[in-house]
Amino acid sequence: MFHAIETKDLVKRYGSRRALDGLTLSVPRFALMGLVGANGAGKTTWMMSVAGFLHITSGSVNLLNEGPFNPAAHCGRVTILPQDSELPLESRPQELLTHYGLLQGLTRQAAADSAAAMLKEVHLGDRIASPIRALSHGMRKRVMIAQCFIGHPEVVLLDEPLSGLDPREVAHMRAFITRRRGQQTILISSHNLHDIEVMCDHIAFIEKGRTARVATLEEVIGKDSTLVYRVAGEPADYAALSAAAPDANLSFDPEASALVCRYDPRRCTAEDINRSLLPALLAQSDVSTVTRGGDLESAYLKNITDSQS
Amino acid sequence: MNGIRQIWRVARYEWFDAMRSRRALVVLLLYMAAAVCTMHWSINLLHRMEKELASMLQLPQSEQAGVVSTALWKSKQFQRIMKNVTQNDMVLHDLTGKHPVELIYAWFAFFYTPMLVVLVAGNRIAEDIGSGAVRYVIFRTSRVCWSAGKFVGQVIMIGLSLLLSGIGAYAVAKYRLAGSGTPDLLLNILQWSLRAWVYSIPYLGLAMGLSHLTRSASKATIMGIIAITFCFVISIMIRHFTAETGWRAYLPYMGVLIPDDHKMLLWRDAAAPLVTGFTYLVTLGFCYLLTGYAFFRKRDV
Repeated sequence: MFHAIETKDLVKRYGSRRALDGLTLSVPRFALMGLVGANGAGKTTWMMSVAGFLHITSGSVNLLNEGPFNPAAHCGRVTILPQDSELPLESRPQELLTHYGLLQGLTRQAAADSAAAMLKEVHLGDRIASPIRALSHGMRKRVMIAQCFIGHPEVVLLDEPLSGLDPREVAHMRAFITRRRGQQTILISSHNLHDIEVMCDHIAFIEKGRTARVATLEEVIGKDSTLVYRVAGEPADYAALSAAAPDANLSFDPEASALVCRYDPRRCTAEDINRSLLPALLAQSDVSTVTRGGDLESAYLKNITDSQS
Repeated sequence: MNGIRQIWRVARYEWFDAMRSRRALVVLLLYMAAAVCTMHWSINLLHRMEKELASMLQLPQSEQAGVVSTALWKSKQFQRIMKNVTQNDMVLHDLTGKHPVELIYAWFAFFYTPMLVVLVAGNRIAEDIGSGAVRYVIFRTSRVCWSAGKFVGQVIMIGLSLLLSGIGAYAVAKYRLAGSGTPDLLLNILQWSLRAWVYSIPYLGLAMGLSHLTRSASKATIMGIIAITFCFVISIMIRHFTAETGWRAYLPYMGVLIPDDHKMLLWRDAAAPLVTGFTYLVTLGFCYLLTGYAFFRKRDV
């Protein structure tokens, strides 16, 4: 498989502290991958290392099969939305994005067109000539997102792209990013797991500078191996439930008030489980919804619990 | 070729951005105002000197300054002042007979340019590193193109401010000094602007080279001020403390590394010293810049 990004045993040390501690991660081409991890887990450091902002202590980066980041090879093909980085305050969005397009090797006309289209896409078509200084935090964030997509780069790294946006813009940007699926390789680092779940098709859990797990979203949330029953209260008779669905592993999540049923998809299907388990469950409790797969938050928290134990 | 194009793109944007920044504009206008005021006060002084000279030589006194500037050059007092200022017989020879307005402007431009450079450009790189703005550029072009582009942008900016100050000074001279409104004088003043511009390049390299070392704009400005002060101190030490033996015998060698030591070449009329001076100063500017860049190349941004 052709990987857009491959990092092997990446180490980044700040004094005695290791921000990246042998992080190995491969990102398939055209994947929309979410990076999930605690504060200080190494997500931003990894992105900055891939983009060439940080000099790694050891390990290797292979970007688009052309080695580590090199402006001569990757200019215009890889872009990033860096975290906590201000745009030049006196610049105007249209001029700034055109300038960035020119630096990426676009012609003046193509750069101007691409800048105008992107600004319109992020709902800033009426503010193209306002100084960045005069834009609100959310508007600046949208300019930052827009600059990433100038000239249709192959790889886009987005560090906390939706933080600071209002709910309407969050929904719009989620839809915008999701529409790029299959056209560009996009990496998103975010603490908002719902956003990641909605947008991404691949997930990487990063903990303490290492990759804890990399899988497709379906695998992570167990879409093909988990059924979640929202119930009114915890079932009293687990034995009856286990007898009805002997191939299933049942557990109760009190926070979500849900019965989580995990099964081996090679041995039975969701329909089999439903057919046998649901009558037994309804005999004990009201069931409001049945969904295939858990949510990313539960999967992430379970992953942390598993790794700690 | 692509690198040069990228440098030019960064430079052009840097220039536009600096012009839009109110602070840079204020400094430019202040510099122009300083040139105009200096010219105005110097003409007042010149007028007083001429009046004294005219009464001594029993020439008719004029209401406007500049009428007896040729006679002024013949006065021993004026020659003594010039000799003290230049401290170089060849330079004095080249300057003899030049219009006093030219000399006043040249003195002003050479004296204030290092300060202008530090105030306008000393923090441009540190500011971008500190705010993170550099991160939007260095994945689109190389770090060296970015640094060189910022430098070239500021070189253009300083050139523009010197040009404006020259025009301002000429305008004052035209209205205050008799017979000064000639195109020749404007061209001569602009020529001094050009020389001062070349003189600014090593200071620009020094200030912007140092600016690579920090993320704080104010720290970069302070470092720049300390650096040019250090250059002037070394220059004074070379002039006044050089001896034939001991450590002080090595002082003149340090002069090669500071811009002030090559300044006198720019006061000459002949092509050879001028070209030598231009070459030395531009090379020195790039050396300073590259020294700072060498640190930036390896640093995390």
